[in-house]
Order: sequence, then structure tokens, then C-alpha cells
Amino acid sequence: MAVATCSRTLEQEYGIPTAPVSTYEFAGFMSDDLKFHGVPLRVIYTPHPVAGMPPAVLRNYIEGKDPATQRVVVEEIIEALTKPVSDEEFTGDFAPVSRTGVRQPLLESDTEDNLQRLFYERGWTDGLPIILPTEERVAEMLTGTNRAPDEVVAEIYLHDSQEYLKFTVEMVAIVAVMAGAQPEHLPVILAVASTGLPSIPGSTTPFACMLMVNGPIRNEIEMNSGIGAFSPRTLANSAIGRAWTLLTMQWGYFRLKKQFWSSQGNPIGYGNMCVAENEERSVWEPFHVQKGFRADESVVSIFRGWSFVNNVVGSSVRSVGEDTCVLLGALSGVYSAATLIFDPLVAKHLKENDGFRTKLDFARWISQNFKVPAAQFWGTDLVHMLMAPMAEQGIEPYASWKKLPPETLIAPYDKPENINIVVVGGETSPMWKVADFAYAASAPVDKWRARPVSDGCVDGTCGLPDEP
Amino acid sequence: MATLLRSAVLNPEAYRTVRSAGDNAPAKARSFSTLAPRLDSLNGKTVYLVDTGFGGSGKFLDQVQAWFAEHMPSVTTVRRKKTGNIFRDDTKEVWNEIKEKGQAAILGVAG
Repeated sequence: MAVATCSRTLEQEYGIPTAPVSTYEFAGFMSDDLKFHGVPLRVIYTPHPVAGMPPAVLRNYIEGKDPATQRVVVEEIIEALTKPVSDEEFTGDFAPVSRTGVRQPLLESDTEDNLQRLFYERGWTDGLPIILPTEERVAEMLTGTNRAPDEVVAEIYLHDSQEYLKFTVEMVAIVAVMAGAQPEHLPVILAVASTGLPSIPGSTTPFACMLMVNGPIRNEIEMNSGIGAFSPRTLANSAIGRAWTLLTMQWGYFRLKKQFWSSQGNPIGYGNMCVAENEERSVWEPFHVQKGFRADESVVSIFRGWSFVNNVVGSSVRSVGEDTCVLLGALSGVYSAATLIFDPLVAKHLKENDGFRTKLDFARWISQNFKVPAAQFWGTDLVHMLMAPMAEQGIEPYASWKKLPPETLIAPYDKPENINIVVVGGETSPMWKVADFAYAASAPVDKWRARPVSDGCVDGTCGLPDEP
Repeated sequence: MATLLRSAVLNPEAYRTVRSAGDNAPAKARSFSTLAPRLDSLNGKTVYLVDTGFGGSGKFLDQVQAWFAEHMPSVTTVRRKKTGNIFRDDTKEVWNEIKEKGQAAILGVAG
């Protein structure tokens, strides 16, 4: 957290005494932070929240009591800057716990019901029953890859405990079994795991992610890119998407008030909008090719944001472009990031009737034509938090936007390359989705397959595990 | 009647280590010397109020500044907003200014 980190820097590198202030909701996080950095900062706590409180309430916070100590906040602030540090003041153990390679590979033998309960109570599941990862099932799952079970796929760092989690191919296979995946899904899940990205990052905000697969493996494992691709009806989409969240749980991101803070959460986290791009029906270049991969490579891409809005009926009154701008008006525009998910009918319309030859052509049009008053843009807390500091640094165009009269229109999607466009859907109606998702990463799938992919593979079974 | 599962069930947890492989640096010991020396008093001193960027921090520091003006007018308060990413310590200019012109800093508000 920046308050503690910046306070440490000022204390240690600049010799400046500090009084770091936090809301009491984050006392546990602060405590962990102090413990593991070994610097006994004098954190002062206010009631929670500070955001949105009127001046009179904030004044009461200052003149009222610190919920942690029952002492007056402003007196603690003054004392933090003036009272010498004493041994008695800090009683915590500031030495990190030493721990190396702790893991019990097999669980105690028990009944199916008890083991299901154990997995749930230990925070290893999303609450729904899982497929118990028996030795036989995991061994079968491992036939989906040519990689050694003990190969490390990802190393995850937990900030609160300063621990590294080493996650191997076998562990990913265990989670794949739990999620209900088949061996042929494993290469995609390994590719997702290799990014080390959580499906639900630690934040008080309702983060959400989308997982999209491109290339031949989409059809080989029967992923849905057509009718109802985002709906819960296809094994590959559901299992791969769920596996990512179960992986995220094993990586420690769901420990309450350690890594998991999302005040309301987000239902997208159950399946992470796992789809394939409908390359066959798209009139545009596949997304992974836009990112520099060959068309015949299989690739998984990750998009991260918070929200999406549907166009529900089509665009017979307004144009697709105009209606997309209306939908974007519900989103923040932070970092110029958006993801537009078009049914193939919409993409076809945009290309053949509206003249947008490429995805980037349409992204440029959006960049130029979506406008909001400066006050609306800067009035969004997320934008204020993440982009106002760039304006303060003099980074353009944000520095100039910050000086504009409130009613002046600005075009906040100033980077068309940050507007991602993908094609998904079954052409039953020309509809689309507009999301505030930023592109996060792409990872190749083929290196995780059971058998190497040959250049001449055309029968739809490239790299799949052998029949038993 | 429930029966024991015949197959062994694998643990999905990761290997946990405090440090990455090969890093044998000793654990940090508890130390109070890592804090800067405290001031004798705030009278006549310049205290920077640094908004680290979370929602409401600026308005909270407005009230801190007003409180000092009313109750400790001998203290000079200077408002600054941390530049850069709100989740990182990636600024230098504000810290250099505090070092050059100030004697203490109040940072907030986390949360």
C-alpha cells in the first residue's frame, strides 16, 4: 500500500519523520505490512470510509478517536512526528517466518462428502462441488501435456506474507480436474497459469476478467465461439474459465482481507467470460494475429476490467458507432482501455456497410468520436485516482485536460490501440458488448500440448492426447 | 453409509517459501533505528500533507490543514499530491521537496 511504502521511504532514505494515516478497515493489512518489512511505522487509523465523506465528518474523524487505540487522531498524528520511538511501543514480531517448500502432497483418506467439505472449508473451491483430484484422475489429466509434472509453471508472490508460491504442472492438473476439465483442455489452462495473473486481483474494486482463446485448439477442444458463447452451456468454456478462478484460489488471492478485498465482488469470476474468438465468421484479422502470433498458433488472451454493457436489440435507429459511444458513456475510460465484443453480423456490417476495413479502423473512429465533458471524465473516482497523478506530472494530454473548463468536451479514448475488438457470437442477432476491459496478456498454448503440433495438421486433432 | 474414497486425493496447494530459491539473505531483524529521528515539537516547523491518491484523501487533508491553522498556527502546512502510480512509491520530486523545505510529513489516507 502506497501510504506505508512511501512513509518507509521518507523515514529511511530522506530522514523525514512521518505520520501515515489509514482507515481502520485496513488495519490488518497494515499490521502485516509493518511486520514483514520490519519497520515500526506509527500508523494512525481513522474510521472507514474516508471516500465520499463530507467535511464535517472528516473533521470529526480528525478530532475523534482512532478506532484501534481509542486515542484522539490528531494527537496521535502530532505524537507520531514528535515522540521518540520506544521499545514498549511496538510489541509485534518483526522477523518474517522462515518457511521452505511446505506442502503435504496427499490428503488424509476420507469419505467423498467429507473431502468435498474439506476442500470448501480450506478455501480451495468456489462453493460448488468439485471433481475430487484423485491420483488416477490427475494422472489422466497429465496425459494432456508433454511437460514434466514437476515443472514450475508460475511463481506467485504474496505481498502480505512475503511468500512465494511455486505452482507446478501437476498442481495445475490437480486444479483442472477439480474444475471438471478434460485432458485436452489442460494446455489452455497451463497457458493461463503461465501468465501468473489472477482472475480476481487483490482490490476493493469488483475486478473481472475475460479469457479468450484463438487458433486451432479452439475447435479441437470444442470451445464455443458461436451461439451463447458467454452462456453456461459448453464444457470447455466453463471448465477452463472455472479452472482459472480455482487456480487463483490456490494462489492465495481469496484470503479475506489478506488479498481479497472486493466489497461487492463480481459474478464474472465464476467463469471469467471464457470464450473463443469466432475466427471463421469474422471479417477481420483474429485477435492473436493482431498481437503478433501466427494464425495457426493457439493462444490464450486475458482482458481485465470491471464492467460490460450489452447492446440488446441491434442498431436500426442509431449506427453501431453511435450506439457504441452511448454504451461507452457508462464506463470510465480509464487508460483509454475498452474491449468491444461484436457478433460476426456486426463486424460484417461495420466492414461491408460502414467501411471499417480493420478492427483498428473502427477503434480510431471511436477514439475520435466518443466525447465527454471534462468534468464527467475527471469526476469518476477511478479516473481521478489513476490518471490525475499523470496530469500532475505534466503528461499530455491529461495535463491539458485537467485545466479545461468543466463543460469542454474531450475524447478520453486517446489511444485507439488500447481499444480491443474481438468477434464472438452465433449470428442470431447483430448485437455486441462494450467492456472497460484492458488487454493484459497473451500466452502461447502449443508448447503445453501433449504432442507437438505439425505444420501440416489439418484434421482437427493437432497436439491432442492419444486415445486411451 | 458413507465409505472411504478408495483413491488417494491430491492436495491442490502450492509449495510455499518465504523467499525465492537461492535467496539465502538473513531475515530482517526488528530495528527501531530504521525510523527517522523525531522532532522536538512542531512549533515553527513545516509539515507536508501528502495526498497519496485514494478517494477522499484530499478532502481529509483539507481538514487536517484547517485544524493546524486553527489550533497550531505556528505550524506551516504544505499540501502536495503524490505523483505517479497510487499503488507504488515511484515519485522523487515530492520527497526531494520535503527533504529540502520541510521537517515532517503526514501521508494519507490508505483505504
